[in-house]
Amino acid sequence: MKFQIEDVTVYFPYDYIYPEQYEYMVELKRALDARGHCLLEMPTGTGKTVALLSLITSYALARPSPPLKLLYCTRTVHEMEKTLAELRLLHSHLPPTHRSLALGLSSRKNLCVNPYVLSSASRDSVDSACRRLTASWVRAAAAEQPPGAVPTCSFFESYDRAASSGPDAVLLPPGVYTLGDLRALGREKGWCPYFLARQMIRYANVVVYSYQYLLDPKVAGIISREMQRECVVVFDEAHNIDNVCIEALSVSVRRQTLDGATRNLHRMAQEIDRFKATDASRLRAEYNRLVEGLAQRGNLALTDAWLSNPALPDDILKEAVPGNIRRAEHFLSVLRRLVQYLKGRLQTENVETERPVDFVASVSSQAGIDQKMLRFCYDRLHSLMLTLEITDTDEFLHIQTICDFATLVGTYMQGFSIIIEPFDERMPHIPDPVLQLSCHDASLAIKPVFDRFQSVIITSGTLSPIDLYPRLLNFNPVISRSFTMSLTRDCICPMVLTRGSDQLPVSTKFDMRSDPGVVRNYGRLLLEMVAAVPDGIVCFFVSYSYMDGIVNSWNEMGILQDVMQHKLVFIETQDVVETTLALDNYRRACDCGRGAVFFSVARGKVAEGIDFDRHYGRLVIMFGVPFQYTLSRILIARLEYLRNTFQIKEGDFLTFDALRQAAQCVGRVIRSKADYGMMIFADKRYSRHDKRSKLPGWILSHLHDAHLNLSTDMALHIAREFLRRMAQPYDKAGTGGRKTLLSQEDLEKMGEDPMNMF
Amino acid sequence: MAVINMAAKYKTTVKEPGTPGVLRMSEDKFIFVPNDPRSAMKLNVNFRNIKGHKFSKDGSKQALLNLTQDSEKGGGYIFEFDNFSDRNVCRDFVGKVLGKFQAVTSSRQNEQPVPEKPAATVHSEQLSTTEMERRMKLLWEDSELQKLHKQFVIGGVLTESEFWATRKSLLDDVVQRTPKQRAGFRSAMLADVRPSTDGRTNKVTFSLTPEIIHQIFAEKPAVHRAFLNFVPIKMTEKDFWTKYCRAEYLHRTKNSVAAAAEAAEDEELAVFLKHDDILANEARCKIRRVDPTLDMEADLGDDYIHLPDHGILRDGSKETADAENELARRTLSQDLNRHATVVLEGRALDVELGDTRTAAEALARSKQELCTETSDEKTNQERLEKVSRMTEIEDLQAPHSLPYAPLCIKDPREYFDSQQANAVKALGDTGAGIKPVDFSLKTEEAYTYLLEQISEVKVRGLNNLVVQPEATLKVLNGLNPYLSSTKYHLGKKPQECVLDMLPNRTKDELLHHWTSIQELLRHFWSSYPITTAYLYNKVLRLKDAMTHIYHKLQEIKEAVQSDFRHQVSLLVQPMLQALDAAFAHYDTEQQKQSTKSGNKPNGFVQ
Repeated sequence: MKFQIEDVTVYFPYDYIYPEQYEYMVELKRALDARGHCLLEMPTGTGKTVALLSLITSYALARPSPPLKLLYCTRTVHEMEKTLAELRLLHSHLPPTHRSLALGLSSRKNLCVNPYVLSSASRDSVDSACRRLTASWVRAAAAEQPPGAVPTCSFFESYDRAASSGPDAVLLPPGVYTLGDLRALGREKGWCPYFLARQMIRYANVVVYSYQYLLDPKVAGIISREMQRECVVVFDEAHNIDNVCIEALSVSVRRQTLDGATRNLHRMAQEIDRFKATDASRLRAEYNRLVEGLAQRGNLALTDAWLSNPALPDDILKEAVPGNIRRAEHFLSVLRRLVQYLKGRLQTENVETERPVDFVASVSSQAGIDQKMLRFCYDRLHSLMLTLEITDTDEFLHIQTICDFATLVGTYMQGFSIIIEPFDERMPHIPDPVLQLSCHDASLAIKPVFDRFQSVIITSGTLSPIDLYPRLLNFNPVISRSFTMSLTRDCICPMVLTRGSDQLPVSTKFDMRSDPGVVRNYGRLLLEMVAAVPDGIVCFFVSYSYMDGIVNSWNEMGILQDVMQHKLVFIETQDVVETTLALDNYRRACDCGRGAVFFSVARGKVAEGIDFDRHYGRLVIMFGVPFQYTLSRILIARLEYLRNTFQIKEGDFLTFDALRQAAQCVGRVIRSKADYGMMIFADKRYSRHDKRSKLPGWILSHLHDAHLNLSTDMALHIAREFLRRMAQPYDKAGTGGRKTLLSQEDLEKMGEDPMNMF
Repeated sequence: MAVINMAAKYKTTVKEPGTPGVLRMSEDKFIFVPNDPRSAMKLNVNFRNIKGHKFSKDGSKQALLNLTQDSEKGGGYIFEFDNFSDRNVCRDFVGKVLGKFQAVTSSRQNEQPVPEKPAATVHSEQLSTTEMERRMKLLWEDSELQKLHKQFVIGGVLTESEFWATRKSLLDDVVQRTPKQRAGFRSAMLADVRPSTDGRTNKVTFSLTPEIIHQIFAEKPAVHRAFLNFVPIKMTEKDFWTKYCRAEYLHRTKNSVAAAAEAAEDEELAVFLKHDDILANEARCKIRRVDPTLDMEADLGDDYIHLPDHGILRDGSKETADAENELARRTLSQDLNRHATVVLEGRALDVELGDTRTAAEALARSKQELCTETSDEKTNQERLEKVSRMTEIEDLQAPHSLPYAPLCIKDPREYFDSQQANAVKALGDTGAGIKPVDFSLKTEEAYTYLLEQISEVKVRGLNNLVVQPEATLKVLNGLNPYLSSTKYHLGKKPQECVLDMLPNRTKDELLHHWTSIQELLRHFWSSYPITTAYLYNKVLRLKDAMTHIYHKLQEIKEAVQSDFRHQVSLLVQPMLQALDAAFAHYDTEQQKQSTKSGNKPNGFVQ
């Protein structure tokens, strides 16, 4: 369908539209008009993504100059695939003259088609295997020697030949390219899909990639450097964006890291000696380049591009590298001293917490390395490794980590802390010392994004309380709004279960969670539900260890065997491959009508981005409140920082964080208004007002007072009633004054009569 | 079937000594000839009169066989045999014969016996027992079919083969359906064998059944491979399972130190404790075919937080369980996932679970087949389609036409009748009984309203024509007679139909006649053109039967109470018409024959 929002013609790929989608688009358009950032919370299951894509694409078509580019950030690759699929649907509804180019970008591992490189298993060996074939010096050597003597990548060579005649020669025809499409295209044409995609993001109208490509300064430097200001950046499913920002700037150093770094340094010293003997001019040339400043890094060959400096402000890049680390040997000895110092710090018996200022001072006095030298470590290492023509970069990860750490600690004085722990709190008998540089200020990583691009849109199903995010991320949204869901029928049914079948309270509170009565009550709840609910059921637990424990207990008690009489059981494990296969099988079991239960972990990978819509999830049970591990030193340090800087109370933040996770877990059951699902919050603490009120409004509005304090048998009764009600035919378009489904005519009528809107 | 001759004693009661003689059993009757020709105890009984048979247990005092007669005729024929093996031969034979007649005799209860015509058996062809059983099963399942069969085949109108010829598809269906159903794996985790202790000693007992072993093979390819490699060359099957159970026990007790020690000593035992490399390979192969919208493995390389030492390491959300020991890595979660996967894949082989070795080999074969079938292109295409289908929001657009399987109801009338009955009952239960009255009021209102409208239109004429007036008139005229006749009897309840108002007997008869007529007419029309004498005879027979039914229908029509007469005649009319058409056809054909071959005195077509 096609309709007008003010002066923009919006192309929408469906025959009908939800009113909240329309409102969402209106708000979005205002934000784009104002060229400002915005924050929008809309319930899951109302077609957020398609509304976003459709409005921004239409907006770009309506205002062709300056060309507006959409950078769409997803958290995971599979979400990227989903977004591209929606984009493809939208594309088929655009007028043929308005076709645009959209593509997904991922790492070499997901895009490479070279069979030799692919045979290496992990990401880093794919990266370094690629470099081994495509680094500029390798190619130079291959050009000098007879063909075949030095292996190169045929895909990259043919791409390079094609691209050398100008960017038009490799320009992709308009369309939507998923990772699979890019790979297929690469195989067909013999071009390297990875470098093709890297090249194409300059010309593409829509780029879909992972958060890290904008937030992690190391990656953002090379991938997103050339994006112009006229970009709309969308962070979808952004309820965890503060955690992503924090992780992007956090580094930890373990004993293995230091040992590895020592080995790396040793090898680099050997390389330097070799170069001194054979090709001393290279080292001299590097020295001269460093005198002129690092800013010249810009014109490196495409394939040599490196993860760039972690978050150095631009003005620093114009400075020259300090004189005392310009010579390769000097720099190596600085690194050696640093590694030695860190080794000394790790040999502590107690937990130590330090601010970066103190740490830098101590490094300076004990190892003789000042702040400026620390700050340049990462770039200096990068330069040195290029000079030494090191291709097997995955061997040198350890020293990179050390330099990363040094640069961060030398750059930021605020918002970080250094925590040294001699062992893991939960396993005190195993010595495993860790030095962690942890970032507390989420705004540091996202600041360049807000500064650089004209509109940044942060959206998710759970952004409650919506006023907290601008504070955490330190920005001023022009529009910040939370939408509710207009429903034709009550298609979600949240319940709070506080008591088990024996009327005793259930909770995952620390003192209660291992109580066999609670474990049994939780098991009985699941057992009753698998017998009553058709198709798929998803269970979320508070942590892996808790899940393992309770599943084992259920197995011993025989509850698991009874559950298996009704449904197959699949479990998320820490092994990603196994979890993926389990999910795939779970879906198949739901498809074929067998029915299945999936056990998963809140804050785990599955909770992050897998949808359990339609028959894949008719019921979600959230066992317990997913609080963070409150004894963690890092969390304590972060809470302290939040209290001092933003005046956010510890308890409030913890509850907010736990409830947004819980809401995120249960929110995955709804995809559209035709869909339906139940949500059981199984913990007595949910019935307390201070916890419950932190849930997003669209869940709260369906949480009746009668459903606040249930026991297993009552919940079962409600579930049966609900399922029976949902099985009845209903009027999709909504009746009476409030329509829940709008057709093109409705929208046109609304356009004529703006007073009558909603 | 053959004829059996057996020496036996005939008695009228169990107590009496009995008359020695020879029992001769053939397919349709048994004859007892006493050894003493003067004895009056001669028997010649048709099996049709036999209701059932009883016999004494093997090893009891006497080897008896009692052929019980219809209850109203009383008594039975008791035979005592010399030994049990003789008795058993006869018993089996009787069982078979009675089984064959059961379909016929069972339907005899509330009907008067149909005169038996020897003609029925003249055309009986040689049939395999399986074919026979299949037919009998069909008759058993479908009471209507049984009735027809009884009426026409036993009644001599149609031959057995003629009757079944039109129902070949039914028979084939049965043949096809039976082997299709294959039992899958049980949902229960059998492979998770739990040891039982006797409580007194330290002995632990594991019990394995073929079913469990099969599941172990399917879920643990390493054990399966080990079995194929080791048994019986290296060790016996018993040793193999003992070792396996020992490994399981070590695993269960979570005694990783002991497990490691044992594994170091015994390399065969280590096989059971080690990580399963076949599974790992399979997983690697499968992960490529996984739906990209849930491929979490692709993320691993995409964000840099997953690089070692980046991001927050120890904040409690990630738990780094170090794999200190290769042996202790198998967890319950993995077992559960594996089990569910195997159950979902289903059982791929059809061997009896008796012999372990053959089961293992069959499994290996089926696995090989599985590995070779990989049409990547096609699956990829399917996956893409699925993804695009999944991304669409269903209620924002018109529904897709999904492929559907046609609904097959074997006996539609029975099904719908029962549904209707249920619906009526449910209505009555919920107290919505007033509803029909309400409805009838509305129809009347609607009727008067319609009348008014029509008269109005007649007066004023139509301004804006919705429908053509001629068409409307035609429809109204067509409806009116029907309305007027049924207005007061019908339509009061929407679920009601004319048949329900008739007395039960009349209704059943009508329905029965209707199906009979259908059957007869089908045969009748399919016999034309008449080319052989056989067909001619058949048509004659059919015509006779049809005339018979015709008269019956007339009788019903007349016998029925006056207030139903109109409805009944309405119902009967189409049947009579169909029959009339058939008779007319027959007569014209007959005339043609006679004019064409008038010189032939007998009128037969040779």
